[in-house]
Amino acid sequence: MAETLQPTAPRGLYLHVPFCRSLCPYCDFVVVAGAAAFGPRSRVAGYLTAVEREIDLRATALDRQFGSVGAASRPPLETLYLGGGTPSLIPAEQLARLIDRVRDRFGLTAGAEVTLEANPGADERGDLRGTAQAGVSRLSVGVQVMETSALRSLGRRHTPDDAVTTVAAARAAGFASLSLDLLADLPDLPFDAWAESLDAALALAPDHLSVYALTLSLSPDESGDDRLATPAGAVAWRQRAAAAQDEERGAQELEHLDVRLPAAGYAWYEISNWAQPGHESRHNRLYWERASVEAVGPGAHAFDGVSRRWNSADLDAWEGALSHGTLPPGGSAPTAAGEEAAAESLVLALRMARGVARDVASSAGFGEAIAWGEEHGLLAAHPDDATRVQLTLRGRLLSNELFSRIV
Amino acid sequence: MSNIPQSRLRNFSIIAHIDHGKSTLADRLLEVTHTVDPRQMTSQVLDSMDLEREKGITIKARAVRLEYEAADGQTYGLNLIDTPGHVDFSYEVSRSLQACDGAILVVDASQGIEAQTLANVHLAMKLGLVIIPVLNKIDLPASDPEAVMDELEETLAIPREEVLLVSAKEGTGVPAVLEALVKRIPAPSGKLDAPLKALVFDSHYDTYKGVVNYVRVQEGRLKAGEAIRMMGSGAECVPVEIGFFRPQHVPVQELLAGEVGYVATGLKNVREARVGDTVTSLLNGATEPLPGYQVALPLVFAGIYPLSGEDYPSLREALEKLHLNDASFSFEPESSGALGFGFRCGFLGLLHLEIVQERLEREFNLQLIASAPSCKYQVILNGAKGEQLIDNPAQMPSPNHIEEIREPWVAASIVTPTTYIGTIMDLSTSKRGIFDGMDYLDEKRVVMRFQIPLAELIVDYFDQLKSRTQGYASLDYTESGYRVAPLVKLDILVNGEPVDALSTIIHRDRAQSAGRVLAAKLKELIPRQMFEVPIQAAIGGTIIARETVKAVRKNVLAKCYGGDITRKKKLLEKQKEGKERMKRVGSVEIPQEAFLAVLRTDAD
Repeated sequence: MAETLQPTAPRGLYLHVPFCRSLCPYCDFVVVAGAAAFGPRSRVAGYLTAVEREIDLRATALDRQFGSVGAASRPPLETLYLGGGTPSLIPAEQLARLIDRVRDRFGLTAGAEVTLEANPGADERGDLRGTAQAGVSRLSVGVQVMETSALRSLGRRHTPDDAVTTVAAARAAGFASLSLDLLADLPDLPFDAWAESLDAALALAPDHLSVYALTLSLSPDESGDDRLATPAGAVAWRQRAAAAQDEERGAQELEHLDVRLPAAGYAWYEISNWAQPGHESRHNRLYWERASVEAVGPGAHAFDGVSRRWNSADLDAWEGALSHGTLPPGGSAPTAAGEEAAAESLVLALRMARGVARDVASSAGFGEAIAWGEEHGLLAAHPDDATRVQLTLRGRLLSNELFSRIV
Repeated sequence: MSNIPQSRLRNFSIIAHIDHGKSTLADRLLEVTHTVDPRQMTSQVLDSMDLEREKGITIKARAVRLEYEAADGQTYGLNLIDTPGHVDFSYEVSRSLQACDGAILVVDASQGIEAQTLANVHLAMKLGLVIIPVLNKIDLPASDPEAVMDELEETLAIPREEVLLVSAKEGTGVPAVLEALVKRIPAPSGKLDAPLKALVFDSHYDTYKGVVNYVRVQEGRLKAGEAIRMMGSGAECVPVEIGFFRPQHVPVQELLAGEVGYVATGLKNVREARVGDTVTSLLNGATEPLPGYQVALPLVFAGIYPLSGEDYPSLREALEKLHLNDASFSFEPESSGALGFGFRCGFLGLLHLEIVQERLEREFNLQLIASAPSCKYQVILNGAKGEQLIDNPAQMPSPNHIEEIREPWVAASIVTPTTYIGTIMDLSTSKRGIFDGMDYLDEKRVVMRFQIPLAELIVDYFDQLKSRTQGYASLDYTESGYRVAPLVKLDILVNGEPVDALSTIIHRDRAQSAGRVLAAKLKELIPRQMFEVPIQAAIGGTIIARETVKAVRKNVLAKCYGGDITRKKKLLEKQKEGKERMKRVGSVEIPQEAFLAVLRTDAD
């Protein structure tokens, strides 16, 4: 885990699409909704012009720093991730243009993973055939839960049937990999209903599953310049919802996953992610391996192997700067070096099933935390490789207890 | 700065309840006499500590000399001696008043007399001070000067003809106050050629000048460069400097009988020159000190611990420094199984405790845990083994060694609107108070008197009194001796281990319910740990209540992608800090608030 303080060219690109038909009260992502997302006052066209401009500017900077695409120090991208928001709102022909622009300026390897996030609603999922033709190889569908009233109370626009329709259309369109996002610890949803919803999602036979325990940030002032302020209504909703969550039930659900998913052929490879063999997200792995990832779009975060920077979440500020041909405003985190960087690497690596070599984990002052983790049953020897340590199921549920001893 | 002849000196103080406008009136007096440049006038010049401004009270006495050209064309030296305005500091008040010949009594024309004011006016009258009654805030629509004048007449026998009507805020009536000071208060009478006797009515510590005593010279002359002796402590020194307050220090060559000023002693510890002591000359000094010197004894005790054990030496240093300025609190090292090494500190009262803790935290940047306040119990051991004085529940001997326990009681007087008589009666009797009688101030307000155990008063009586009477009732109390009581020690066991800092001494009849309430509170306050944590309340080995803090089941940040990494790191660091702010007791992490929960164990 020795740190070389040399930036490296990105291996992946994250492209943030900030549009949604409507806001979900639990969501913290950078999103504008309603009239900004569709109809006569839609800002999508202006956004697309600006994001192409940012792609050019970021690529030009990389050209200067690492040489043109194809140089030894500037390999083409292995992954492109279009996240949001609801990127499936972007018309297929525009998506194609965007992906082509990325290929032109950053390069994309032959087998590059190109992920697009989609919502299942009829007015949200877009033209999936066209999306596949535009070059998207992996579709990540925001299903959340397969239970009508739970979806409604989360403020989602779709029904479980929409999810079924979307998955069928995606299969027909021929995406190489299909992922579903699900939530656990939902307010007021009993365990049995949640487990049934999980079975309904598994019946759709996705290649990959992300399951997140719903995390509600309650204080309205937590937003930085990379975040938008939480609307007051959403804060009130979260306060009510948080009161209807249940730590015990949430834990039970996560434990249930550990039984149910392996039985269906999925292996966990990261705290919140399960996949059929060969379907692990390559893009997200770059984050956990602390590899360089470039980022464009409002609120997007990038890492060059040394420091982290982000764009302002403010669509006007972001677009305004780009319309003048300059890079958008944003911020950066103090460069993590030495032990701090090592701690960050360790925390990220421990999220993954492959874990960390024991001698690496125990070095550099983390020995005490690792020993504590093993003593409390949060860490154990990797089943396939005794020289490595891995989070146990208990460790996956309580990972912050361990990680807060490492940072 | 010249010495004004004794006949044109006036030494006075201002007596007022909190918020009745003492500081504002003092500010106006300073302005009108041009003692402070209006441009440099910060609101409430005399309350110079930040804490004093925030709390709206005077903690330390202050003094200032005003030079006033009166209607008779003569210039008078008016020495304003400010007094602390809180029940905890009544000894300081008595010394400040003793340095005066008169006092302005400020009463809010809309509120009337309060308990503290009453106590201080009685004190001033006993010391023979001339009282100048002032009704303040007459500009307020709610003011009712006639009713308050009736009250003054009935309760203090102050004739309404003597009352001055003032709005300190707007400056109305202030010149009349100045004239009254000159005309009504007698000039000081001490002999200039007698041996030196100067009363210390306050002191502070100055890094360069050592202990600076605030003095009123009663007899003789205090001369720069002449050796002096503190008659109470026996300390001797040659003053570094003597002078007047304007309000900043202005050095002079001598202070004469009747004058008020300061003497910078160069002494290194205020204990050597306490409030109430008498300064005399080393050579040909006085033989008898001024009457009334006593060392104020702490009433309320609490353990003060650094949050992190490494800060113990810094805490010691901070206490020593603070003690240079405030000799009225005591501290001695103690150790607690739960909290590690710290100090047992004694205070004049609860507010005093709060002030000292806040000053330690602010001025010395320390993070502290204070244990629940206690008072001093007399524990009579059986088998004629004598008596133990206990100010910390952890020191309580086991019940089979105890013949009896005696606790300190106080005589409390409460001034309240009559509408609250019932609620105050309920509150006081629920706190084991014994009703001692009641006097009507007028048809709307009464003074209620109770005998009440100090331990009950220091827990939450004062807060409850304030909340139950919407702040209308005011309280004053004095010690009234020890009484036998059926007291027991209530212990708390966390994860099977007794936590000494959570022990309390409590009346036997209340122990059961208090134990249940406390255990339930701790269950809420102690965060889930990696394992299940039982919390038990026990009396002498018998468990009377049990609660369980469940083990933490889920603490995970589900999403960790691009931007989440920076945020996650912040969150983890926050969790880490949170843990560091907790105190580890055995293998359980207990937050600071849990140690304060013992303060509030009433079932309501």
